[in-house]
Amino acid sequence: MSVIDALALPVLVLTPLLVGVWLLVADRVGTPPRPGTSRSLAVAAAVLVAASAVVVVWRRPEIDLLWIESLGVRLDLGVDGLSAPFLLLTGLMAVVATLVPYHHPLSDARLGEPGRHEPTVALPVVGTDVPRPRALATYYACLLVVVAGSLLTFLTRDAVVFFVAFELVLIPMWVLVARHGDATSAADRDGAALRFLLFTATGSMLMLVGILALWGATGTTDLSRWAELAGSSLASGTQVVVAVILLIGLGIKVPVWPLHTWLPWVHATAPTAGSVLLAAVLLKMGAYGMIRLVAAPLPEGLATVAPVLAGLAVTGILWAGLACLVEQDLKRLIAWASIGHLGFVVLAIAAGSETGLQAAIYGNMAHGLISALLFVLVGNLKHQWGGADLGSPRAALREVSPRLGFVLVLGMAAAMGLPGLAGFWGEWGALYAAWEPGPGRTLWWFRGFAIAAALGAVLAAAYAVRVLREVWAGDRRSPAIRDTRGVELGLLSLLGVGILALGVYPGPLLDLTAPATEAIIATLGVGR
Amino acid sequence: MTLELNVSALWPVLAPALAALTVLVLDVVLPRARTAHLWLAAAGLVGGGVATVPALTQGTGDSTGAFCLPSGHCLYAASSLTGGLQLLALGSALVVLVLTWSDWGRAGPGDRTSAPTTVLVALFLAATAGVAAVPAARDLGTLLVGLELATLPVVGLVALERRERRHAGAVAGAVALLTTSLVSFALLALGAALWVAATGSALLDPAAAAAAAAVPEQGALLLLAAVLVLAGLGFKLSTVPFHAWTPLTYGTAPLPVTTYLAGTSKVAALGGMIVLVQTLAGTSGFALLAVAVLAALTMTLGNAMALRQVDLVHLLAWSAVAQAGWLMLPLASLSSRAVQAAGGYLAVYVVATVLAFVVVIAVARRPGGGATLADHRALARRQPLAAAALGLALLTLAGLPPAIVGLVAKVVVLRPVAADGTWWLIIVATLNIALGIAVYVRWLSALIARSGEDTGWEREVPVASPAAEEDAEATTALPTSADATEPAPDDTAQATSAEVGATAVAGQSAYAMPWTHRVLILALSALLVAGSIAPVGIF
Repeated sequence: MSVIDALALPVLVLTPLLVGVWLLVADRVGTPPRPGTSRSLAVAAAVLVAASAVVVVWRRPEIDLLWIESLGVRLDLGVDGLSAPFLLLTGLMAVVATLVPYHHPLSDARLGEPGRHEPTVALPVVGTDVPRPRALATYYACLLVVVAGSLLTFLTRDAVVFFVAFELVLIPMWVLVARHGDATSAADRDGAALRFLLFTATGSMLMLVGILALWGATGTTDLSRWAELAGSSLASGTQVVVAVILLIGLGIKVPVWPLHTWLPWVHATAPTAGSVLLAAVLLKMGAYGMIRLVAAPLPEGLATVAPVLAGLAVTGILWAGLACLVEQDLKRLIAWASIGHLGFVVLAIAAGSETGLQAAIYGNMAHGLISALLFVLVGNLKHQWGGADLGSPRAALREVSPRLGFVLVLGMAAAMGLPGLAGFWGEWGALYAAWEPGPGRTLWWFRGFAIAAALGAVLAAAYAVRVLREVWAGDRRSPAIRDTRGVELGLLSLLGVGILALGVYPGPLLDLTAPATEAIIATLGVGR
Repeated sequence: MTLELNVSALWPVLAPALAALTVLVLDVVLPRARTAHLWLAAAGLVGGGVATVPALTQGTGDSTGAFCLPSGHCLYAASSLTGGLQLLALGSALVVLVLTWSDWGRAGPGDRTSAPTTVLVALFLAATAGVAAVPAARDLGTLLVGLELATLPVVGLVALERRERRHAGAVAGAVALLTTSLVSFALLALGAALWVAATGSALLDPAAAAAAAAVPEQGALLLLAAVLVLAGLGFKLSTVPFHAWTPLTYGTAPLPVTTYLAGTSKVAALGGMIVLVQTLAGTSGFALLAVAVLAALTMTLGNAMALRQVDLVHLLAWSAVAQAGWLMLPLASLSSRAVQAAGGYLAVYVVATVLAFVVVIAVARRPGGGATLADHRALARRQPLAAAALGLALLTLAGLPPAIVGLVAKVVVLRPVAADGTWWLIIVATLNIALGIAVYVRWLSALIARSGEDTGWEREVPVASPAAEEDAEATTALPTSADATEPAPDDTAQATSAEVGATAVAGQSAYAMPWTHRVLILALSALLVAGSIAPVGIF
């Protein structure tokens, strides 16, 4: 057992990195690997990652190495109750993202011709926009590097390494969107990719400012030390300023209204696996950062700005709900729904109680599974339809592809927050936490936010019904599309089972996170 | 007055200087020798590099002096930081020498295209000796002489070397550089004079400076002196508002000389600034505020201008302006780590910039190559090695992982400023990181673009540049049919230049990158990768 303990953590971090680098090199030097080879290798790496994530969460091994001596920065990796669920989610999403079928990017020539796109058939031999097979090794390498960066973000207990890992995902994600994304024109695709890069880079730079401020005040970059100090080394005015800077920076990543504008565009463009990773893992890094870098080390600062943060979160919930009622692009609609769900997460974090933190983590996990399911599904539909426009006449899923139809109903029901499905506990917990907010919060403000957020949940039901009416119901049978099968069906089932399991039996996840959230709330008194 | 010489500490400067002398002597003895000069120059640079080892290995705070006065103050002092800067200067000069080896090896009196090898190599070595001297200077005389020695020979290099078709702008570029360096020398000399008036000595002695700052009249004089010297150094470092020569000279000089200006010469400028800031550390906040404002303006203007460049040499020139702002950033704080941080950032910047230039040169020298954004379209497919190395260099300059060393460098230079609590400067700097990303990502997205796509901006009419002048027309047809594994599809080449494009493609497949370029690219990339995995000893 001890050998596995010792190996699990290095394997977890190094596997995706090394396989990713190997694929990148192999794609450039000599004969590039065949797409099948790249894919098998990537899937094998992802499975190994998922397995070692489970081992790491179970056995809790640790690594502590000195990285930059002159700065006192340590490569200090370990898991606690807060990072464990994120780690497991990332492991699962690594498998999902590498297994999801690769769809060749849609471009203007192939958009708007419904029915002509046979995703499983070999490529039509037209145009130069069709990527040559060699590009796929780079594609899988990028997916693996994104996974590696996210894992490192969740594992590290050093703020500088956290920042570096946070940034590590940007370039591979940018390549995924810029090279493998759909768009009506290349300029559109480049625009989306650039927008992603600039928004999130600005966000993480602001985060860096906050980290530097905390570093200066505490003299260390150790995150657990920061949580122990809980802001006692900062004057309360400084705490507020630093918290605001950090929240703006992380709020871009989450995203919090009004910093969300980049997300729908990027999601609409990104390839399916990119969307899955973006929604299920990268956005989580923002929420995780809010807990690690703001809620734990700056409780007083967070308490001061909590009403504003919660207000923005609720505005985001309502805004996204209304946008979903009119959005014409299905993939963009799912992205808007994501913004709404993350609004609940941010509201829960702002509430500052133990229930709030638990609900935030639970909401993150639920949203990870639901959005991954929906993006896999919509990715399939988009490439069979040749576009994701809801205005075009499509065959009703209920009629032509019952399995896809069932998954859509399940996903939409979960997005609505129906009891018995994963989304319920996160949203209900957030509402409860806002109704009974933690210390230092104005009770009636938060009760008002809770009511408004509940209205947002109603909007979620309305747009879910809209999607089901436009895509699922009806009796139109042409243009026919293929039902899901094979690997994709397996993935959808896996995610569906996960959603059900989290919805029916929330105990294990709550038990896993309880010690960490208790510890964060327990330090609240220290700073006073 | 007795002066204690300590020649062993001087070898990093003496080695290239002696090599320059030997080259001149050799020319008298053997007028027909060509490559011997180059080998001598390489030996001088390598010897100087080896000689920095004793300085590098000493502990922080220690320094080895030479030309020591009876009072104990040395006119030349090599700390470990000095040793690092000297090694950086000599190493980057060696890269430039390798880049220019074939050109200078061919040059000679009988050759209509260029000045004789001897002259070029001697100028080059003299400039490098000057660059190596500046970071070790501890008095105004050494500093000024070192700076001028580092600058004036480069003017000769810009003006003298000609390419197959002489570029009319080269002289203009040289004149711009000359004028600038004269003006900056005037400012430096004025500043030096005021300094002597304020402190009563020409030594760069922190204690004397602190004593002078304590007296109001002398303090004001010292402040004026410091600002003038800073302005003089600002010319060399190309900080706003003294940056105007940079795009002009970079754009017209031969590319290896531009590499020298962007890499090696920066060591002299920043070395001088470090010497000055170290001396002023205990005096006043005003000089620091001046540095802070200059740094903020420089990085903002540099990035903003770089955003619109189509010619890559111009883009790198403006990027050098922006990076000069980053170099000055830590010097705007009083922290003891500031100087070390600036040195570390300089090391990362020089390696990345020189690597970028090596790739630009390698691409520009291909048949049908050039130095515009359009020439780099789909480079990742045509020359994967070069493109990967260039990508690494650009990411380092932008400060984005996977080039972690660039990101850590940014953190390191921001940290002393954050420790001082100069928040406005930090916010400006972080917003500039985002702006800088936009600059380099434009180039990166051209690298990874698929051939045959048109995103709009690269097809703008390229600004005529010396490097691209030969093949400006051919380049537009090139990217469409560049994949070496496939035959060039005729239909993709544009009708107007189809023939040129076809010959260019044929030439391209036959052309192999010189092995020296490969070695340089690999070595510099290996440095960046090693720094990203374990940034030990840089910061």
